[in-house]
Amino acid sequence: MQDEIIRYENAGISFGNKKVLSNFSLCIPKGKKVLLKGKSGAGKSTLFKALLGFEKLSEGAVYYKGKALSPQVAWQVRKEAAYISQDTDLGEGPIKLLLEEIRAYKPNRGKMNPEKFHMLINEFELEKDILEKNFERLSGGEKQRIGILIALLLERDIFLLDEATSALDSGLKKKVADYFLKHTDWTLFIISHDREWERNEVEIVNVEKAGSG
Amino acid sequence: MASPDISIPSMILCFLLLSIPLAINYKIKLNLSRRTINSVTRMTVQLALVGVFLTFIFDLNSGILNIAWLLGMVTVASYTTIRNVELQMEKLFLPVILSFTVANLSILLYFNEFVLDLENLLEARFLIPIGGMILGNSLSGNVVGIGEFYADIRRNENRYLYNLSLGASRYEALLPYIRKCLRSALRPTLANIATAGVVFLPGMMTGQILGGASPILAIKYQISIMITIYVSTALSTTFSILSTTQAASDDYGLVKKEIYRKKGKN
Repeated sequence: MQDEIIRYENAGISFGNKKVLSNFSLCIPKGKKVLLKGKSGAGKSTLFKALLGFEKLSEGAVYYKGKALSPQVAWQVRKEAAYISQDTDLGEGPIKLLLEEIRAYKPNRGKMNPEKFHMLINEFELEKDILEKNFERLSGGEKQRIGILIALLLERDIFLLDEATSALDSGLKKKVADYFLKHTDWTLFIISHDREWERNEVEIVNVEKAGSG
Repeated sequence: MASPDISIPSMILCFLLLSIPLAINYKIKLNLSRRTINSVTRMTVQLALVGVFLTFIFDLNSGILNIAWLLGMVTVASYTTIRNVELQMEKLFLPVILSFTVANLSILLYFNEFVLDLENLLEARFLIPIGGMILGNSLSGNVVGIGEFYADIRRNENRYLYNLSLGASRYEALLPYIRKCLRSALRPTLANIATAGVVFLPGMMTGQILGGASPILAIKYQISIMITIYVSTALSTTFSILSTTQAASDDYGLVKKEIYRKKGKN
Protein backbone atom coordinates (compact mmCIF):
# COMPACT_ATOMS: atom_id res chain seq x y z
CA MET A 1 0.00 0.00 0.00
CA GLN A 2 1.28 3.45 -0.92
CA ASP A 3 0.09 5.36 2.12
CA GLU A 4 0.96 2.77 4.72
CA ILE A 5 2.40 4.41 7.83
CA ILE A 6 3.02 1.70 10.41
CA ARG A 7 3.11 -2.06 9.92
CA TYR A 8 3.97 -4.89 12.28
CA GLU A 9 4.72 -8.29 10.84
CA ASN A 10 4.56 -11.29 13.18
CA ALA A 11 5.93 -9.15 15.96
CA GLY A 12 6.88 -10.93 19.15
CA ILE A 13 7.90 -9.48 22.50
CA SER A 14 9.65 -11.17 25.38
CA PHE A 15 10.59 -9.79 28.76
CA GLY A 16 13.57 -11.83 29.82
CA ASN A 17 12.59 -15.42 29.13
CA LYS A 18 8.90 -14.71 29.25
CA LYS A 19 7.10 -14.38 25.97
CA VAL A 20 4.28 -11.87 26.31
CA LEU A 21 3.29 -11.35 22.69
CA SER A 22 3.76 -13.32 19.51
CA ASN A 23 2.62 -13.20 15.91
CA PHE A 24 1.23 -9.72 16.15
CA SER A 25 0.52 -8.25 12.73
CA LEU A 26 -1.13 -4.93 12.03
CA CYS A 27 -1.12 -2.35 9.26
CA ILE A 28 -2.06 1.28 9.87
CA PRO A 29 -2.57 3.35 6.71
CA LYS A 30 -2.54 7.13 6.67
CA GLY A 31 -5.49 8.75 8.43
CA LYS A 32 -6.52 5.60 10.25
CA LYS A 33 -7.29 5.51 13.97
CA VAL A 34 -6.40 2.31 15.81
CA LEU A 35 -7.05 1.59 19.48
CA LEU A 36 -4.92 -1.13 21.02
CA LYS A 37 -6.57 -2.89 23.92
CA GLY A 38 -5.39 -5.66 26.19
CA LYS A 39 -4.23 -6.50 29.68
CA SER A 40 -1.33 -4.59 31.10
CA GLY A 41 1.94 -6.43 30.65
CA ALA A 42 0.88 -7.65 27.21
CA GLY A 43 3.64 -5.65 25.52
CA LYS A 44 1.52 -2.84 24.04
CA SER A 45 3.86 -0.03 25.08
CA THR A 46 6.77 -2.05 23.79
CA LEU A 47 5.18 -2.05 20.34
CA PHE A 48 5.36 1.75 20.38
CA LYS A 49 8.88 1.75 21.74
CA ALA A 50 10.00 -0.71 19.06
CA LEU A 51 8.79 1.72 16.41
CA LEU A 52 10.72 4.56 18.07
CA GLY A 53 13.86 2.44 18.29
CA PHE A 54 13.82 2.37 22.10
CA GLU A 55 13.30 -1.38 22.39
CA LYS A 56 13.86 -4.34 20.11
CA LEU A 57 11.23 -6.84 19.03
CA SER A 58 12.25 -10.36 19.90
CA GLU A 59 10.61 -11.68 16.74
CA GLY A 60 9.19 -10.27 13.53
CA ALA A 61 9.59 -6.76 12.25
CA VAL A 62 8.15 -3.28 12.29
CA TYR A 63 7.96 -1.03 9.22
CA TYR A 64 7.52 2.71 8.99
CA LYS A 65 6.28 4.05 5.66
CA GLY A 66 7.29 0.77 4.08
CA LYS A 67 10.83 0.73 5.44
CA ALA A 68 11.98 -1.86 7.95
CA LEU A 69 13.19 -0.29 11.16
CA SER A 70 16.84 0.71 11.17
CA PRO A 71 18.62 3.47 13.07
CA GLN A 72 17.87 5.93 10.24
CA VAL A 73 14.20 4.99 10.19
CA ALA A 74 13.96 5.31 13.99
CA TRP A 75 15.42 8.83 13.83
CA GLN A 76 12.89 9.64 11.10
CA VAL A 77 9.98 8.36 13.22
CA ARG A 78 11.15 10.54 16.11
CA LYS A 79 10.98 13.58 13.84
CA GLU A 80 7.65 12.78 12.23
CA ALA A 81 5.52 11.12 14.88
CA ALA A 82 4.43 12.64 18.17
CA TYR A 83 4.69 10.27 21.10
CA ILE A 84 2.91 10.69 24.40
CA SER A 85 4.31 8.32 26.99
CA GLN A 86 2.50 6.83 29.96
CA ASP A 87 4.02 9.37 32.28
CA THR A 88 5.35 12.44 30.59
CA ASP A 89 8.69 13.33 32.15
CA LEU A 90 9.97 16.66 30.93
CA GLY A 91 12.58 17.14 33.61
CA GLU A 92 12.84 19.72 36.35
CA GLY A 93 12.41 23.46 36.27
CA PRO A 94 9.99 26.05 34.90
CA ILE A 95 7.87 24.69 32.05
CA LYS A 96 8.66 27.74 29.98
CA LEU A 97 12.36 26.88 29.90
CA LEU A 98 11.72 23.21 29.22
CA LEU A 99 9.52 24.12 26.26
CA GLU A 100 12.16 26.51 24.93
CA GLU A 101 14.59 23.62 24.89
CA ILE A 102 12.20 21.40 22.91
CA ARG A 103 11.55 24.22 20.53
CA ALA A 104 15.27 24.50 19.86
CA TYR A 105 15.47 20.95 18.48
CA LYS A 106 16.07 21.12 14.77
CA PRO A 107 12.81 19.51 13.56
CA ASN A 108 10.76 21.77 15.86
CA ARG A 109 12.17 25.17 14.90
CA GLY A 110 9.48 27.62 13.95
CA LYS A 111 6.83 25.37 15.47
CA MET A 112 5.15 25.58 18.86
CA ASN A 113 3.33 28.77 18.12
CA PRO A 114 2.51 30.70 21.35
CA GLU A 115 -1.04 31.63 20.25
CA LYS A 116 -1.88 28.03 19.63
CA PHE A 117 -0.34 27.23 22.98
CA HIS A 118 -2.69 29.62 24.80
CA MET A 119 -5.64 28.32 22.84
CA LEU A 120 -4.82 24.78 23.93
CA ILE A 121 -4.29 25.84 27.55
CA ASN A 122 -7.90 27.09 27.54
CA GLU A 123 -9.20 24.10 25.67
CA PHE A 124 -7.71 21.64 28.14
CA GLU A 125 -8.55 23.70 31.23
CA LEU A 126 -5.02 24.38 32.42
CA GLU A 127 -4.21 27.44 34.53
CA LYS A 128 -3.05 30.50 32.61
CA ASP A 129 0.19 30.84 34.57
CA ILE A 130 1.15 27.20 34.11
CA LEU A 131 4.22 28.19 32.09
CA GLU A 132 5.78 29.78 35.14
CA LYS A 133 5.40 26.68 37.28
CA ASN A 134 8.01 24.00 37.80
CA PHE A 135 7.17 20.83 35.94
CA GLU A 136 7.98 18.51 38.84
CA ARG A 137 5.36 20.30 40.98
CA LEU A 138 2.44 19.58 38.65
CA SER A 139 -0.20 16.96 39.37
CA GLY A 140 -0.35 13.78 37.27
CA GLY A 141 -3.27 15.13 35.27
CA GLU A 142 -1.52 18.42 34.57
CA LYS A 143 1.66 16.65 33.46
CA GLN A 144 -0.41 14.51 31.13
CA ARG A 145 -2.08 17.55 29.58
CA ILE A 146 1.30 19.23 29.10
CA GLY A 147 2.41 16.11 27.23
CA ILE A 148 -0.68 16.29 25.03
CA LEU A 149 -0.12 20.00 24.43
CA ILE A 150 3.47 19.47 23.35
CA ALA A 151 2.45 16.68 21.00
CA LEU A 152 -0.12 18.96 19.39
CA LEU A 153 2.23 21.94 19.15
CA LEU A 154 4.83 19.96 17.19
CA GLU A 155 2.43 20.06 14.21
CA ARG A 156 2.96 16.40 13.36
CA ASP A 157 0.22 14.23 11.91
CA ILE A 158 1.13 10.81 13.26
CA PHE A 159 0.44 10.23 16.93
CA LEU A 160 1.45 7.45 19.29
CA LEU A 161 -0.69 7.89 22.39
CA ASP A 162 0.24 5.58 25.26
CA GLU A 163 -2.40 5.93 27.98
CA ALA A 164 -2.39 9.64 27.23
CA THR A 165 -5.64 10.36 29.08
CA SER A 166 -5.47 7.94 32.03
CA ALA A 167 -5.14 10.60 34.75
CA LEU A 168 -7.85 12.97 33.41
CA ASP A 169 -11.48 13.18 34.52
CA SER A 170 -14.06 11.86 32.08
CA GLY A 171 -15.03 15.32 30.80
CA LEU A 172 -11.43 16.04 29.85
CA LYS A 173 -10.88 12.56 28.44
CA LYS A 174 -13.76 13.21 26.06
CA LYS A 175 -12.42 16.63 25.12
CA VAL A 176 -9.00 15.24 24.31
CA ALA A 177 -10.41 12.31 22.32
CA ASP A 178 -12.72 14.71 20.41
CA TYR A 179 -9.81 16.97 19.62
CA PHE A 180 -7.68 14.20 18.18
CA LEU A 181 -10.47 12.36 16.38
CA LYS A 182 -11.87 15.40 14.59
CA HIS A 183 -8.73 15.57 12.45
CA THR A 184 -9.57 13.01 9.78
CA ASP A 185 -6.13 13.24 8.18
CA TRP A 186 -4.26 12.39 11.40
CA THR A 187 -2.96 8.87 11.90
CA LEU A 188 -3.63 7.80 15.48
CA PHE A 189 -2.19 4.77 17.19
CA ILE A 190 -3.70 4.63 20.66
CA ILE A 191 -3.16 2.51 23.73
CA SER A 192 -5.88 3.20 26.27
CA HIS A 193 -8.28 1.69 28.75
CA ASP A 194 -10.55 4.74 28.44
CA ARG A 195 -13.94 4.20 26.79
CA GLU A 196 -13.86 7.75 25.45
CA TRP A 197 -11.64 6.54 22.61
CA GLU A 198 -14.06 3.81 21.49
CA ARG A 199 -15.86 5.46 18.60
CA ASN A 200 -17.11 4.38 15.23
CA GLU A 201 -14.15 5.78 13.38
CA VAL A 202 -11.69 3.92 15.64
CA GLU A 203 -10.69 0.36 14.89
CA ILE A 204 -10.22 -1.66 18.05
CA VAL A 205 -7.46 -4.25 18.08
CA ASN A 206 -7.23 -6.66 20.97
CA VAL A 207 -3.80 -7.78 21.99
CA GLU A 208 -3.99 -11.20 23.52
CA LYS A 209 -1.40 -12.42 25.90
CA ALA A 210 0.59 -15.20 24.29
CA GLY A 211 0.61 -18.55 26.01
CA SER A 212 3.57 -18.80 28.33
CA GLY A 213 6.59 -20.59 26.98
CA MET B 1 66.68 31.25 53.28
CA ALA B 2 65.84 27.64 52.39
CA SER B 3 63.79 25.25 54.51
CA PRO B 4 65.77 23.66 57.35
CA ASP B 5 66.48 19.98 56.90
CA ILE B 6 64.50 17.45 58.93
CA SER B 7 66.86 14.91 60.39
CA ILE B 8 65.92 11.27 60.88
CA PRO B 9 65.56 11.65 64.68
CA SER B 10 63.26 14.63 64.02
CA MET B 11 61.16 12.51 61.68
CA ILE B 12 60.86 9.94 64.44
CA LEU B 13 59.68 12.68 66.79
CA CYS B 14 57.03 13.54 64.21
CA PHE B 15 55.84 9.93 63.98
CA LEU B 16 55.66 9.94 67.78
CA LEU B 17 52.75 12.40 67.50
CA LEU B 18 50.68 9.52 66.12
CA SER B 19 50.50 8.09 69.63
CA ILE B 20 47.83 10.72 70.36
CA PRO B 21 45.22 9.50 67.84
CA LEU B 22 46.20 5.93 68.67
CA ALA B 23 45.55 6.57 72.35
CA ILE B 24 42.16 8.15 71.61
CA ASN B 25 41.46 5.21 69.40
CA TYR B 26 42.26 2.74 72.16
CA LYS B 27 40.30 4.59 74.81
CA ILE B 28 37.01 4.94 72.94
CA LYS B 29 37.36 1.87 70.69
CA LEU B 30 37.31 3.70 67.38
CA ASN B 31 38.58 0.64 65.60
CA LEU B 32 40.87 2.75 63.48
CA SER B 33 44.28 1.82 64.85
CA ARG B 34 44.98 -0.76 62.17
CA ARG B 35 43.89 1.62 59.44
CA THR B 36 45.92 4.44 60.88
CA ILE B 37 49.07 2.33 60.93
CA ASN B 38 48.37 0.92 57.46
CA SER B 39 47.70 4.31 55.91
CA VAL B 40 50.74 5.95 57.43
CA THR B 41 52.96 3.04 56.40
CA ARG B 42 51.61 3.13 52.85
CA MET B 43 52.14 6.86 52.60
CA THR B 44 55.68 6.60 53.91
CA VAL B 45 56.66 3.82 51.52
CA GLN B 46 54.99 5.47 48.51
CA LEU B 47 56.53 8.86 49.17
CA ALA B 48 59.95 7.36 49.86
CA LEU B 49 59.83 5.64 46.48
CA VAL B 50 58.64 8.84 44.80
CA GLY B 51 61.43 10.74 46.53
CA VAL B 52 64.07 8.37 45.23
CA PHE B 53 62.53 8.25 41.79
CA LEU B 54 62.10 11.99 41.49
CA THR B 55 65.69 12.58 42.55
CA PHE B 56 66.72 10.28 39.73
CA ILE B 57 64.36 11.92 37.21
CA PHE B 58 65.35 15.44 38.22
CA ASP B 59 69.02 14.58 37.87
CA LEU B 60 68.54 13.08 34.42
CA ASN B 61 65.99 15.73 33.39
CA SER B 62 65.34 14.09 30.03
CA GLY B 63 62.34 15.50 28.18
CA ILE B 64 61.19 12.11 26.93
CA LEU B 65 61.44 10.54 30.36
CA ASN B 66 59.53 13.45 31.92
CA ILE B 67 56.72 13.13 29.38
CA ALA B 68 56.66 9.37 29.89
CA TRP B 69 56.32 9.87 33.64
CA LEU B 70 53.47 12.30 33.01
CA LEU B 71 51.71 9.89 30.66
CA GLY B 72 52.03 7.25 33.35
CA MET B 73 50.23 9.59 35.73
CA VAL B 74 47.55 10.23 33.09
CA THR B 75 46.96 6.49 32.71
CA VAL B 76 46.62 5.98 36.43
CA ALA B 77 44.28 8.98 36.66
CA SER B 78 42.04 7.66 33.86
CA TYR B 79 41.99 4.21 35.38
CA THR B 80 41.06 5.62 38.78
CA THR B 81 38.29 7.74 37.28
CA ILE B 82 36.54 4.83 35.58
CA ARG B 83 37.04 2.53 38.56
CA ASN B 84 35.42 5.03 40.86
CA VAL B 85 32.34 5.54 38.71
CA GLU B 86 31.42 1.88 38.31
CA LEU B 87 31.55 1.83 34.54
CA GLN B 88 32.97 -0.82 32.29
CA MET B 89 36.68 -0.33 31.89
CA GLU B 90 37.30 -1.71 28.40
CA LYS B 91 34.72 0.41 26.60
CA LEU B 92 35.56 3.78 28.08
CA PHE B 93 39.25 3.65 28.87
CA LEU B 94 40.44 4.96 25.54
CA PRO B 95 38.17 8.02 25.33
CA VAL B 96 38.93 8.98 28.94
CA ILE B 97 42.69 8.59 28.59
CA LEU B 98 42.66 10.62 25.36
CA SER B 99 40.61 13.37 26.96
CA PHE B 100 42.92 13.51 29.95
CA THR B 101 46.00 13.63 27.80
CA VAL B 102 44.81 16.24 25.34
CA ALA B 103 43.14 18.53 27.89
CA ASN B 104 45.69 18.41 30.68
CA LEU B 105 48.84 18.25 28.61
CA SER B 106 47.89 21.20 26.42
CA ILE B 107 46.99 23.35 29.43
CA LEU B 108 50.17 22.30 31.19
CA LEU B 109 52.36 23.16 28.22
CA TYR B 110 50.57 26.49 27.79
CA PHE B 111 51.28 27.22 31.44
CA ASN B 112 54.96 26.34 31.10
CA GLU B 113 55.39 28.27 27.86
CA PHE B 114 53.41 31.44 28.44
CA VAL B 115 52.95 31.82 32.19
CA LEU B 116 56.25 30.51 33.52
CA ASP B 117 58.10 31.34 30.31
CA LEU B 118 60.39 28.33 30.74
CA GLU B 119 63.27 27.80 28.39
CA ASN B 120 62.80 24.05 28.55
CA LEU B 121 59.09 23.27 28.41
CA LEU B 122 59.72 19.74 29.63
CA GLU B 123 61.85 20.75 32.63
CA ALA B 124 61.21 18.04 35.23
CA ARG B 125 61.14 20.43 38.20
CA PHE B 126 58.04 22.13 36.74
CA LEU B 127 56.43 19.58 34.46
CA ILE B 128 56.05 16.84 37.05
CA PRO B 129 54.78 18.62 40.18
CA ILE B 130 52.53 21.04 38.27
CA GLY B 131 51.31 18.21 36.05
CA GLY B 132 50.53 16.25 39.21
CA MET B 133 48.50 19.09 40.68
CA ILE B 134 46.54 19.62 37.48
CA LEU B 135 45.88 15.92 37.04
CA GLY B 136 44.95 15.30 40.65
CA ASN B 137 42.38 18.06 40.60
CA SER B 138 40.90 17.30 37.22
CA LEU B 139 40.70 13.67 38.34
CA SER B 140 38.22 14.49 41.09
CA GLY B 141 36.23 16.68 38.70
CA ASN B 142 36.04 13.83 36.22
CA VAL B 143 34.99 11.28 38.82
CA VAL B 144 32.13 13.51 39.92
CA GLY B 145 31.22 14.56 36.38
CA ILE B 146 31.24 11.22 34.57
CA GLY B 147 29.76 9.40 37.55
CA GLU B 148 26.83 11.75 37.87
CA PHE B 149 26.29 11.92 34.13
CA TYR B 150 25.76 8.19 33.61
CA ALA B 151 23.91 7.68 36.89
CA ASP B 152 21.53 10.50 36.00
CA ILE B 153 20.78 9.15 32.52
CA ARG B 154 20.13 5.73 33.96
CA ARG B 155 17.87 7.10 36.68
CA ASN B 156 15.90 9.27 34.25
CA GLU B 157 15.88 7.03 31.22
CA ASN B 158 12.26 7.82 30.36
CA ARG B 159 13.01 11.51 30.26
CA TYR B 160 15.91 10.94 27.91
CA LEU B 161 13.83 8.73 25.60
CA TYR B 162 10.98 11.21 25.65
CA ASN B 163 13.32 13.96 24.48
CA LEU B 164 14.55 11.74 21.66
CA SER B 165 10.93 11.12 20.65
CA LEU B 166 10.41 14.88 20.43
CA GLY B 167 13.01 15.06 17.69
CA ALA B 168 16.11 15.84 19.74
CA SER B 169 19.44 14.76 18.31
CA ARG B 170 21.56 12.60 20.58
CA TYR B 171 23.55 15.65 21.64
CA GLU B 172 20.43 17.76 22.21
CA ALA B 173 18.89 15.06 24.39
CA LEU B 174 22.12 14.69 26.36
CA LEU B 175 22.65 18.40 26.85
CA PRO B 176 20.58 18.79 30.06
CA TYR B 177 22.59 15.95 31.62
CA ILE B 178 25.90 17.38 30.42
CA ARG B 179 25.01 20.73 31.92
CA LYS B 180 24.02 19.26 35.24
CA CYS B 181 27.10 17.10 35.67
CA LEU B 182 29.56 19.78 34.58
CA ARG B 183 28.03 22.06 37.17
CA SER B 184 28.59 19.45 39.87
CA ALA B 185 32.10 18.74 38.64
CA LEU B 186 33.20 22.37 38.70
CA ARG B 187 31.45 23.53 41.85
CA PRO B 188 34.11 22.20 44.31
CA THR B 189 36.97 23.80 42.34
CA LEU B 190 35.12 27.11 42.24
CA ALA B 191 34.50 26.91 45.98
CA ASN B 192 38.22 26.28 46.52
CA ILE B 193 39.13 29.24 44.37
CA ALA B 194 36.72 31.53 46.17
CA THR B 195 38.01 30.65 49.65
CA ALA B 196 41.74 30.55 48.85
CA GLY B 197 43.71 32.39 51.47
CA VAL B 198 40.72 32.99 53.72
CA VAL B 199 40.63 29.81 55.74
CA PHE B 200 44.02 28.32 55.04
CA LEU B 201 47.00 28.91 52.81
CA PRO B 202 46.88 26.59 49.80
CA GLY B 203 49.47 23.80 49.76
CA MET B 204 51.64 25.04 46.95
CA MET B 205 51.91 28.52 48.37
CA THR B 206 52.79 27.11 51.79
CA GLY B 207 55.48 25.00 50.17
CA GLN B 208 57.00 27.94 48.37
CA ILE B 209 57.02 30.13 51.45
CA LEU B 210 58.68 27.32 53.41
CA GLY B 211 61.14 27.01 50.55
CA GLY B 212 62.11 30.63 51.00
CA ALA B 213 60.12 32.36 48.24
CA SER B 214 58.59 35.76 48.89
CA PRO B 215 54.84 35.75 49.69
CA ILE B 216 54.20 37.86 46.59
CA LEU B 217 55.88 35.34 44.32
CA ALA B 218 54.06 32.54 46.14
CA ILE B 219 50.63 34.08 45.56
CA LYS B 220 51.39 34.72 41.89
CA TYR B 221 52.12 31.05 41.47
CA GLN B 222 49.08 30.12 43.51
CA ILE B 223 46.71 32.32 41.51
CA SER B 224 47.95 31.07 38.19
CA ILE B 225 47.92 27.43 39.24
CA MET B 226 44.34 27.72 40.53
CA ILE B 227 43.18 29.22 37.27
CA THR B 228 45.01 26.47 35.40
CA ILE B 229 43.41 23.81 37.54
CA TYR B 230 39.94 25.23 36.95
CA VAL B 231 40.47 25.42 33.20
CA SER B 232 41.91 21.94 32.90
CA THR B 233 39.14 20.44 35.03
CA ALA B 234 36.51 22.10 32.87
CA LEU B 235 38.22 21.07 29.65
CA SER B 236 39.04 17.49 30.56
CA THR B 237 35.62 16.77 32.08
CA THR B 238 33.86 18.17 29.02
CA PHE B 239 36.11 16.15 26.73
CA SER B 240 35.66 12.96 28.74
CA ILE B 241 31.91 13.23 28.77
CA LEU B 242 31.58 14.07 25.09
CA SER B 243 34.03 11.39 24.00
CA THR B 244 32.60 8.65 26.24
CA THR B 245 29.07 9.30 24.98
CA GLN B 246 30.30 8.35 21.52
CA ALA B 247 31.55 5.02 22.82
CA ALA B 248 28.67 4.52 25.22
CA SER B 249 25.73 4.93 22.86
CA ASP B 250 24.45 2.92 19.94
CA ASP B 251 23.17 3.98 16.51
CA TYR B 252 19.70 4.50 17.94
CA GLY B 253 21.11 7.06 20.37
CA LEU B 254 20.50 4.82 23.36
CA VAL B 255 23.03 4.47 26.13
CA LYS B 256 24.30 0.90 26.03
CA LYS B 257 23.39 -1.16 29.06
CA GLU B 258 26.75 -2.94 28.91
CA ILE B 259 28.71 0.10 29.98
CA TYR B 260 27.31 -0.08 33.50
CA ARG B 261 29.23 -2.41 35.71
CA LYS B 262 27.05 -4.89 37.52
CA LYS B 263 26.77 -4.19 41.21
CA GLY B 264 28.15 -6.74 43.67
CA LYS B 265 24.71 -8.20 44.35
CA ASN B 266 23.31 -11.08 42.30
